[in-house]
Amino acid sequence: MKVSNLLGKAKGSALLLLGTASVVVSMDANAIPVFARQTGFKCVACHVGGMFPQLTSLGRMFKLTGYTMGNRPNLDGLEVQNDYPPVAIMVQGAKQYYNNTSHSVNGNAPSSSADLQVVSLFAGGKITDNFGAFMQWTGQKYANLQSGSQVGYNAASIDNTEFRYADRTVTPNSDLILGAYINNRAMMSDVWNNFGAWESGWINYFNAGNAQAPTTYLMGESSQHAAVGVGGYFFKNKTWYGELAVYKSPTHGPFSVLTAGATSVGNTGVTSLLEPSPYFRFAYNKEWGANSFEAGVHGMMSYVYGTPLFGTSNSQPGGPVSAYHDIGLDAQYQYVLDPHYFAAHARVTRELMNNTPGVANWQGLIAQNATDNLTETYMDATYVYEAKYGAQLSYASATGSSDTGLYAMGVNGAGSPTGSPNWTSWTPNIFWQPYQNLRIGYMYTYYTQMGGVNSGNGLVFNAAKFSPQNFNTSMLYVGFIY
Amino acid sequence: MKNVKTILTLSALSLALGACSTGITKSRNLGNPNVSGNTLAQQVCSVCHGNIGNSVNGNSVNPTFPNLAGQQKDYLVAQMTAFHEKTRKDPAAQQMMWGIARNFTPKQIDELATFYSNQKPLPNPAHGDAALIAEGQKIFSEGLLDKGVPACMGCHGSNAEGNGVIPRLAGQHANYVYKQLNVFNRDAKTADGKESVPDSELERPTGGVMEMVASGLSDQQKRAMAAYVQSLR
Repeated sequence: MKVSNLLGKAKGSALLLLGTASVVVSMDANAIPVFARQTGFKCVACHVGGMFPQLTSLGRMFKLTGYTMGNRPNLDGLEVQNDYPPVAIMVQGAKQYYNNTSHSVNGNAPSSSADLQVVSLFAGGKITDNFGAFMQWTGQKYANLQSGSQVGYNAASIDNTEFRYADRTVTPNSDLILGAYINNRAMMSDVWNNFGAWESGWINYFNAGNAQAPTTYLMGESSQHAAVGVGGYFFKNKTWYGELAVYKSPTHGPFSVLTAGATSVGNTGVTSLLEPSPYFRFAYNKEWGANSFEAGVHGMMSYVYGTPLFGTSNSQPGGPVSAYHDIGLDAQYQYVLDPHYFAAHARVTRELMNNTPGVANWQGLIAQNATDNLTETYMDATYVYEAKYGAQLSYASATGSSDTGLYAMGVNGAGSPTGSPNWTSWTPNIFWQPYQNLRIGYMYTYYTQMGGVNSGNGLVFNAAKFSPQNFNTSMLYVGFIY
Repeated sequence: MKNVKTILTLSALSLALGACSTGITKSRNLGNPNVSGNTLAQQVCSVCHGNIGNSVNGNSVNPTFPNLAGQQKDYLVAQMTAFHEKTRKDPAAQQMMWGIARNFTPKQIDELATFYSNQKPLPNPAHGDAALIAEGQKIFSEGLLDKGVPACMGCHGSNAEGNGVIPRLAGQHANYVYKQLNVFNRDAKTADGKESVPDSELERPTGGVMEMVASGLSDQQKRAMAAYVQSLR
C-alpha cells in the first residue's frame, strides 16, 4: 500500500473519531430518549445507576402511572414549553468471539467482525393525562440462532410495545394505582426487571451459536411480539401489586398491528397462541432507606398451536398442540444511593408441558413424551459506581425431563443424544458509561453444563462430539441511545 | 360482518381513550399551568418525597430525596425557583428537579411550598454512632472558631428549625446534608482566597455563607454535622 493511501486512511479515521467525539461531547441533559425528554430527568433518576432497563422506585412509578408524568401537549393542543419530539434511537454494535468457530457448532457465525448490528426506534410517552405508550421498532441484521430466542428475527419489526392507562388516587392514608394495558409480549408490564424482556441482559449476543439453552415458554423470548395481551393491575400503598392479563395471537383485525413484521402466525418458530392464555402476577414491595425489596409469584397458562398451522395432515389437529403451565417465584433487592447503585434478582419458574406426541409443536419439534417439565433459574447482581463504572454477574440454568424430540443434545453410552434439557451458564459483564447515553462493555458467557453434560467431549450434536465449553462466547459491545 | 367487528373495536378503543381524561385533579402533567400544587404533590412529588402509607406527607424514604415536611416556605420557594431557572446546579438537582420544575409557574411553586411547609415532619432516627453525633452537636452550637466556622444554630435556629430562606435541617437525611455540604465545599474559594469556579458555574450560587462553613469542615466533621441534624426533631 502506498504511504499516501495509508495517510489518507489515517486521516479518515481521525476525522471519524473527532466527529464521534464532538457529537458525544455536545450532548446536553436533554439529549436523551423519549421519557427523559418528557420528564427532564437524567437516565439515572429512573434506571439503577443509569443502567437501563433496570428501574428504580421512581422508574417503576413512572411506568405504573402509565408513562404520563411530565409534559407533552395534550390532545386538545395545549402548548407547553420544552416540548421535544417523542422519539429516540438506539444503536448497538459489537464484536463477538466464539470459543469454537466450527460452523457445525455455531452455525454461520456472522458477527465475528466488529459491526453495527441492531437499530431501534422508540416513540411514546404521555398521550393524555392518564394514558401513555411505549413503542419500539427494531431492525436486526442477523438472526439470533440461540434455541428459543428471537428465532427468525433478522428483519425490521415491531418490538416491545405497550399502551397503558393508569389512575392514581392519593390521600393522606392511602395510595392506589389502578391501571390497564394492551401490549405485545407477556411480562412486558414487569417493573421489577425479573422477566424476559427486562432482565438485566439488555444486550443479546447477535449470534449465540447453536447452544442448547432451553427456557420456559413463558420466559423464552419466543413468545415476544407474537401475542397481544390485555391486562389490568393495581398497586396499593407502594406495597401490594396484583396483575391479571389474557394473551392471544391475533391473526387479523386491529390488534394484529401490534405484531406487525414480527411474526407470521403459523410459521415454524413463531408462536401461535390461538387460545386465550391467562397470565398473572402478585408481588409484595417494601422500601426503606436506600433499599427496596420485592418478592412475588407469577404464572401463565399458554395454549399453543403447532406448525405449520395449515399444512400437512399431522400438523393441524385443529387445536393446541402444546399446553404450557408456568408458575414461579421472583424477588428483587436494590440499594440506590449515589455513588453506589446495586441491584440483584432471583427467579425460579417451573413449567409443566402437555405435549401431543407425534405432532410438530410451534418450534416444528415433535415431543416424545406426553408430558415434560422444565425448571428455570435465573439470578443476577449488578453494581454501578457513580453511574459510570459497572459490573454484573448473571447465572442462568434449567433442569427438566429428558425428551429427545425436544432437545437434540446430551449423550448416552451408545453415543446418541439423551435429550436432556439441563444447562447452566455464568455471564460476567463489565461496562463503562462515559456519558449517560453511551455504554461500552465486555461480556462473557461460560457454560458449565449443556444437554446434561458437564465437561469433556461428551456432547453429541449433528453427529459430532463437543463439550459444553465449546459454546462459550464473548462480546465487546457498544450501545448508544439518543 | 368483519367491518362491523372492526367498527365496534375501534369505537371501544376511542371510548376507552375518552375515559382516560379523568380530569385535572389527577393530572401528572408538568406542562399544564392549570394543574394545582396540591395535585402535583399527590401525583408527582409524592413518588420520591413521600413515604409508604402516607405518600403526601413530605417525609421521604430514600435519602437521595430530602424531607420536605415542615420545611420553611420561603426556602422551598427559593429552591423550586432555582430549579426552574436552572441556577441551582448540584448533580441531584440536574438529574431530577430541573425536569420536574422546568415549567412550574410562580403560583404552582407557591402552592407546593405552602403544602409542604404545612406537613408534619416525622422523627428520622440517625444511624451514626453517638460520638459522631456528639461531635456534630458541638460544632452545631459552638462552631469552629479556629476554622472560621460559625455556630450553625446562629442561622438555622437552636433546634435547626430554620428561618425564612434558611432551611430547616432537623430530621433531614444525613446523606443529603452531607452531599450538600460537599456541594458548598466545591463552590468555595480556595485557601488563598481565589474563586475556584466562576460565578456562572456555582452549583448553589446563593450559598456564600455555606461555602465558608463547608470549606472549614473536615470530611469527618461534615458527616458529624449531618448525623446530628438528622437526629433532631
